[in-house]
Amino acid sequence: MISFRAGRSAGALLLATSLALTACGGSGDSSSEEGADAKTLTLWHYEGPTSAMGIAWNKAIEEFKTTHPGVEVKFEEKGFEQIQQNAQMILNSDSAPDIMEYNKGNATAGLLSKQGLLTDLTEEAGKRGWDKALNTGLQTTTKYDDDGIMGSGKTYGIPNYAEYVEVYYNKDLFKKYNLQVPTTLDEFTTVMDTFVRNKVTPLAVGGAEYPAQQILYSLALSKADRAWVDDYQLYKNKVDFKGPQLSYGAETFKQWVDKGYIAKNSAGIKAEDMGVSFSQGKFPIMISGSWWYGRFVNEIKNFEWGTFLFPGNKLHPGSSGNLWVVPEKSKAKALAYDFIDITMKPEIQALLGNNGGVPVAADAAQITDPKNKELIENFNKLSAEDGLAFYPDWPAPGYYDVLVAGVQGLINGSKTPGQVLDEIAKPYDENLADLGK
Amino acid sequence: MTVTATRAPVEPARTEHAATRANPLRFVILGALLALLLIVIAPLLIIAINAVKSPADYAGGGPLSLPTHLYWDGIVDFWNRVNFGQKLWNSFITSFVVAVLGVLLSILNAYALGIGKVRGRLWFLVFFLVANLLPQEVLVYPLYFLSKEVQLYDSLISIVIIFTVIQAAFGTYLLTSVYQEFPTELLDAADVDGAGKVRTLWSVVVPVSRPTLGVLFTFFFIWTWNEFFLPLVFLVSNDNQTVPVALGVLQGDRLMDATMTSASGLIGILPALIFFLVFQRTLTRGITAGAIK
Repeated sequence: MISFRAGRSAGALLLATSLALTACGGSGDSSSEEGADAKTLTLWHYEGPTSAMGIAWNKAIEEFKTTHPGVEVKFEEKGFEQIQQNAQMILNSDSAPDIMEYNKGNATAGLLSKQGLLTDLTEEAGKRGWDKALNTGLQTTTKYDDDGIMGSGKTYGIPNYAEYVEVYYNKDLFKKYNLQVPTTLDEFTTVMDTFVRNKVTPLAVGGAEYPAQQILYSLALSKADRAWVDDYQLYKNKVDFKGPQLSYGAETFKQWVDKGYIAKNSAGIKAEDMGVSFSQGKFPIMISGSWWYGRFVNEIKNFEWGTFLFPGNKLHPGSSGNLWVVPEKSKAKALAYDFIDITMKPEIQALLGNNGGVPVAADAAQITDPKNKELIENFNKLSAEDGLAFYPDWPAPGYYDVLVAGVQGLINGSKTPGQVLDEIAKPYDENLADLGK
Repeated sequence: MTVTATRAPVEPARTEHAATRANPLRFVILGALLALLLIVIAPLLIIAINAVKSPADYAGGGPLSLPTHLYWDGIVDFWNRVNFGQKLWNSFITSFVVAVLGVLLSILNAYALGIGKVRGRLWFLVFFLVANLLPQEVLVYPLYFLSKEVQLYDSLISIVIIFTVIQAAFGTYLLTSVYQEFPTELLDAADVDGAGKVRTLWSVVVPVSRPTLGVLFTFFFIWTWNEFFLPLVFLVSNDNQTVPVALGVLQGDRLMDATMTSASGLIGILPALIFFLVFQRTLTRGITAGAIK
């Protein structure tokens, strides 16, 4: 299985490079009237029909049909894998859709924009006010420069939702041990100590996938400021991996393992299993993303649960959600812009928020569901502090696996924090060298 | 690897004799085999259990617990969500056409290489073997551009052509080694009776090697049915997708829907399983084929 995957990604890499050579069809025509008379709008996304995005976007399609009576909307639900593997090939052919959902980031939307496969939305975003609806943190992932690096340059995609990492807790277990929601990191540690004293492992952690590295990054962020995040994510200045931020993250993570906050066997646990173990009530606390929220609302029946932001932090892992992009080969660009405009309307945004998603431009007063109010209030708090710090694996290609391996070493105790920091600094610096920074 | 395995000699007298003796070793072996069987079918069992479990039940009890009640919505929802009937038809028609054309192409190639003994046949075989060893990732890019050139990108025909060639490469390799051992007496007899090359092929060679061809057909069908990577690349529109590609729809960015994935896995594997059960007699006969009676 592993070699199979490696083979596939090698193939994808081969494709990426060869396509980069051939894809130079960007005409640069960004007239907003282009394709206004098209009779069909082909639309792809890969969100499940019962997810917050699926529900909101289905509603947006309905709305689009009423405002564009002569236009047929051809919606196809795609698999994440298919879009991830084949976007370049599809967008370079006549089978390209008119509008589709795509992953944000340098390796995905950035790469396609560099190859001229995506339409520049800068002018449209200004005209229709999308840029004002998105705060600076969210805008970071919509803009890509000529090298396909996010943070500056032209706008190539528009997100409808956001995501961020927070702390999920089991209210019943907190009550059982008479614990309050912590507001500082020290209080958080005290809470976890109480659980350990009562022979309960406090944290559900999936060490084999993204969750563990996001905990380490959250700890590093507790000592960081916006300038450090810009350095780490946008290469503004060189990052010292042995500096106070990442050292603190790695050291503290190691302490958490030693003190028994994180089980030793969690190095092999997948994110899905982590979520299920929390929903079974086996662990009182789980630190992970808002993408679990809607699912927990529907599926946790045996106990009361709630969320809070990582105590004491001003910065949190998180970003905009996936983007709506308009392929350069789209035959109905004007219709695609109209559709994006509908998804940004308050009623669609409110629908997203009421179904467990985090809308980017919602009026908090319109969120009626009390459970979802908590999710969105937390986001608004974070957003007001400009607190989106993106994800630790973003800065370099293939960095995700490097971080997984590094953090697994910390959980197993096979590596010291110093060794891990050296190990993760190397690919980061190599990538910087490749970019000529 | 040839199909000329010798039939295991069965001696009924001795078996009967052994059965009358109570041999404790036999129970140990039986027990070990049962344990092995359990290991083999355990993944299928887990899929079956989770396929009929509600998401809340899964969230509360985990993947190994038994469902509290039978929940069929996962299967029904998935069927409707991806229009599964159409995917089944797409998969069936491509696999069937590929299996038929693949066997036909293999026969023609192997007749020339194995019985016709054309010059340089060894190099042909090496070529086919190498073609077999090529990973599909290497083929994707050239195939993508070729199919775009001839307007077959996002069409089932492209998949049929590609897999007919891929399967026939293996078929040619296998069938050639079978035909090299083809009894010359039969060929000579056909020659004496005045049969031409074409007549010999269809009236002598094909009927004699039918069991082997049956095996090839079955394998080609199941292999093509299970193909994921190339159909994923070439079948862009949902209307053209095959079953394995349709199952991929459930794979989300960060979340997976375990119960619905199990449900889809169950209905995805069933057709291939049924096909295998129906044709398993062909398979066992095919394994003993080639042994001259």
